Amino acid sequence: MSTKNKKVMVVGGGIAGLTAAWELSRFNIDVELIEKTPFLGGHAIQYCCKATDECRQCGACTVEAMLKNVVNEPKIKVHLATEVGKINNSGMFSVDLKKSSYKPDFAKEGVIRGYSKNNSPLHVIVDKEICKKNPDACPEDAIELDKIGFSGKLDVDAVILASGFQPFDGEQKGTYGYKKFPNVVTGMDMERIIRENAIVVRPSDGKTAQKIAFIQCVGSRDENLGNLWCSQVCCPYALRMAERIKHQNADAEITVFYMDIQNAGKDYAGFYEKCKTEFRFVRNIPVDVFPIENDSLSMRYMKEEDGLCINEEFDLLVLSVGIMPGPDNSNMSDLFDVGLNEDGFFAGIDKLNSTSTLKDGIFLAGTVAGPKDIAASMAHAGQAASEVIKHLGVS
Amino acid sequence: MTDMKNTDMEEINIATDVLVLGGGLTGIRAASEIAGSGYKVIMVEKDAELGSKKGPELIGLKEEYKGLQDLENKITSDSNVEILTQASLVSAAGVTGDFTARLSKGEEVIEHKVGAIVVATDFATGALNEKYGLSPAANVLTQSQMDELLASEADKEKLANKTVAFLVSLGQEGNPLVLERVLSSALSLQEIDGCVVYIYAGDLKVASNGLERMYKESREKGAVYFKLTEKPEIIENGKTISFFDTVARRNIEISPDLIVVEEELCANQLNEGIAEILRIDVGPSGFLQNDNVHFFPVRSNRDGIFVAGSTREISGLPSAWTDVENIALEVRDLLGDGKKSVAKNKAVVSEDKCVICLTCYRCCPHGAIYWGDKKAIISPVACQGCGICASECPMDAIQIGGFSDEEMIEEVKSGVASGNGTPRILAFCCQNSGFEAGEMADIFKMQLPDGLRKIKVPCAGKIDLDYILNAFVAGADGVMVMACHPGNCKSENGNTYAQWRVNDAYRMLEEVGLEKDRLCFVGTASNMGSGFSSIVVDMEKRINELGLSPLK
Repeated sequence: MSTKNKKVMVVGGGIAGLTAAWELSRFNIDVELIEKTPFLGGHAIQYCCKATDECRQCGACTVEAMLKNVVNEPKIKVHLATEVGKINNSGMFSVDLKKSSYKPDFAKEGVIRGYSKNNSPLHVIVDKEICKKNPDACPEDAIELDKIGFSGKLDVDAVILASGFQPFDGEQKGTYGYKKFPNVVTGMDMERIIRENAIVVRPSDGKTAQKIAFIQCVGSRDENLGNLWCSQVCCPYALRMAERIKHQNADAEITVFYMDIQNAGKDYAGFYEKCKTEFRFVRNIPVDVFPIENDSLSMRYMKEEDGLCINEEFDLLVLSVGIMPGPDNSNMSDLFDVGLNEDGFFAGIDKLNSTSTLKDGIFLAGTVAGPKDIAASMAHAGQAASEVIKHLGVS
Repeated sequence: MTDMKNTDMEEINIATDVLVLGGGLTGIRAASEIAGSGYKVIMVEKDAELGSKKGPELIGLKEEYKGLQDLENKITSDSNVEILTQASLVSAAGVTGDFTARLSKGEEVIEHKVGAIVVATDFATGALNEKYGLSPAANVLTQSQMDELLASEADKEKLANKTVAFLVSLGQEGNPLVLERVLSSALSLQEIDGCVVYIYAGDLKVASNGLERMYKESREKGAVYFKLTEKPEIIENGKTISFFDTVARRNIEISPDLIVVEEELCANQLNEGIAEILRIDVGPSGFLQNDNVHFFPVRSNRDGIFVAGSTREISGLPSAWTDVENIALEVRDLLGDGKKSVAKNKAVVSEDKCVICLTCYRCCPHGAIYWGDKKAIISPVACQGCGICASECPMDAIQIGGFSDEEMIEEVKSGVASGNGTPRILAFCCQNSGFEAGEMADIFKMQLPDGLRKIKVPCAGKIDLDYILNAFVAGADGVMVMACHPGNCKSENGNTYAQWRVNDAYRMLEEVGLEKDRLCFVGTASNMGSGFSSIVVDMEKRINELGLSPLK
C-alpha cells in the first residue's frame, strides 16, 4: 500500500465538480477543487425549489447537500477565484494555478452574493468605488474579489474537467427584447427571483404577474444559430416552474409556446397530463415581442385552430434559455489538449465511455460534455470518479 | 445520514460477495466492474444465454458494438464471476452486508451470503398497434419488425421504392429511445433506392445527445415530418393516412406501402417479483425506483440493494453504463474490505420493553430491521437513523443515538423556557430540509421571529406526538413541524408519519380547547431560505392574532 494519497484536480465547482470531488474523497483521494468564480455551486446552486404540495424532482436541494459534503471534507481543498494557467504532463500533471480573470456580469451593484449558507465567502465586493458611495450595499463580512484567488503550483495524478455550461444569452435573440423590456426574463433569472423572494414578481413593478408566457427552445434546437441540440432541461424546468407559480397563484394564466415538449421526471406522462389541464400549450414559437403600456408585452403567433396570426398580451415573458458550451471551452481544449465535439462541448471517447477522453488521465464530468440536468450531472460525475479510481489503481 | 453526537463505534464483519440479478449487457457490465474492484460476483440470469438480445438496447451503438461483444465474451472467463443461467432468486433474507440469497437452478437451490445486490433487468418492448386501431398485416409493422428487416441485406432490397410511414409519440407519451429507433430506421431507409419516408409525430422526444442532429439529417435527406397534436385518421388498416394540416388548411392524405408503429419500452415483468423478494419499492410504470431525487442515480429504498439502467427507468446503454460506475463506487464504499465501523447507539432496542410486535419491522422504510428470540434487531449497517421506528414503537423500546426521547423532551423544555413576552414558537425541523433552510435564513439575515427555536430531528418521522404535546404543555405559543415535501423524504415517508402525528395532535388540541392554528405542518426544502423566513413570519403573525398560549 502506498503511503501517499493520490491527488486529483477537479476543474469547476458546480454540481458536477462538487460531486466528483466528494466521490473521490470517499476513497481517500486528495482533491484540489479549482473554481474560477468566488463561489461554489455553479449554476445549480442558484436554482429554486420547485415543489408545490409535493416535490417536483428538480433536484435543486441535492446541490445544497453536496455543497455541504464538500466544504466539510478535509481531503478536498477548494481554490476559489482561481484558474489553470499551464499544465504539463510527464506522468504526473504539473499545474500552474493563477488568480482567475473572472469578472461577473451581473454585479452592477458592486457586490455579488452567494446563494448558499455553505458558500463561503457570502459576499464579494467587485467594485470598491460603488461601496464607498453606498456602504449599505457592502456587508461587514464581505470579501474583496482582488483578495481571493490562488497562485501557485500543484502536482496531480489525474484531472477531471467539470467546468459546466453557460446559459444561452437571451440578448442574442434580439426580437424578444431581453434586457430591453424589464418584464422579459430568462429561466435562469426566474430561478434567482424565486430563490431570493420566494414569490414570482414582475421586475418592473414588483407586482404579481397574472398572465405569463414561457417560450421554449430559446437558443436550443436553432438551426440559424447552428445550435443543433436539445438542451434537455428547459421543458422540465419551465413546466415545474409554471406548476409552482400556479400553485402559489391559482389565478395565474400560463401559456407555454413550444416545438416539442420533453419529458420531466419519472412520471413524465402523468405530469404532462396535469400540466395540460392547468396551462395552455401553443405549438408555435413567437418571433416578435413588442412593449405595450404598463411594461406589459405583446406577442404575435399563429393559432392552430384557424391558422390565423394574433397578437396577445402578457404581463411577464420567460425565455426558456438552453445549455450552451462553456465560455472557456475552446481555451481549455487547447490548454488540456482534449478535443471538443461538433457542438462545442468536450468529447468523450465514445457514447459508453463518455467521461474518458483520448488524453490519458483527463476525464469529463457533467455539462462540460453536453446538456444534462442536475441528477444526470451528478451521475456523470460519479462515473467520472469511478473511471479515475480505476485509472489510478486505487484499492 | 444521522448527525451522530455519540461516536462510540464498533467494528463488524460483513459479507463482501455481490449478487447481480440479470445477465443482459447492463448486468454483465455491472458484474465485470464489481469483480474488477476485487469482489466475488454471482450473476443470475433466467435465460440460457447471457448478453444482448440484439434489441433496441443496441440502437446507435455501432462504434461501441465490438467492445460490447468483447465484454460478453470476457465475462464467462472472469474467475471472480460465477454465472448461473436458467436460474432465479427465490428469497433474500437479512440486511445489507449480510443477505442470504437463495437461488434456484433447475431442481437445485443454492444458498449464498452476499453483502450487496444489484438489480439489472432489461426493459421489454410492447406493441402499440391497438392504440392506432391497426391490426397486424403485411403492410403494418411494429418497430421491432422494421428493425429486423433493416438488419438483413436481402430484406432491405425489398424495401426499394417503397413509401414508409412511421407513427411516433401519438400512441404514447414516448421518450428519446423510442424516437431514436424511428430516426435510425428512417436514416437507414433513406439509403435505399427510391424509399420515401413520412413521419407522423406527436412531441419529438429529442432530449438525448445527437437526436436533434439525426432529426435534421433525416429531413435533409427528404423525410417529411407531420407534427400533430392528435393521431391522424387511419383508413383501411393503414392503406391511407389522413389528417388536417393546420398550416396549409387542408386535408393531407397519403397511402404508404408500409406503416411502422412505434413500440413502448416498458419495465421488465420480472421486476415486480424481484421487488417483493427484495422488499424494495416499485416506482412509476413498474420500474424499481421511486421518483425521489435522493435515490438517484442508483439507490433503492434499502441500503445495499442497487438498481441499474432499465431496472429503474427507460434507459439506453450509455446511461446504464453511468449507473454501473456509480454502483461500483457505492459497492466499494459499502463493502470495503469486509470490516465496517458502525455506531453502537445508532438505534438501540431495549430488550425489557420490546414485545416483538414487529411494528418497527413493518414501518422501517430501509428494510433495516429483523428479529431474534428476545427482541427486534436493527442492523447498524442498514439503519439510516431516521427514527421512524422509534416514534412508531408502541412500547417506546427504541432510542436513536443523539435523539433519544429524553434528550428531545429536554430540548423542547429549554426551547420553550426563557420567553420574554414574544410568542415562543418551536419548530421541529428535519435536518435535511427545514433545519438547513432555517440556517440559511439566519445566515443571510432574513427576517425571523425573536421567539423562534429550531429543534433538529434526523427525519420528520422522528417527531413523536409526545414532543408536540410536551411543547404545548411547556408553554409554547406555536409549534411547527417542518418536513421535506412529499416525494422528497430520504426515508421515503417520514414526512407522511409526521403529517399523521400532526393530525392526531390537532384532534387533541381541539379536545383541550387550544386553537388549531397554533400548530402547523409545512413542506420545506434545504434551499428555501427565503421560503422559511416567510413561513415562520406568517406563523408569528397568526400567533400574535391568537395571543399567547393559555397554557403558559
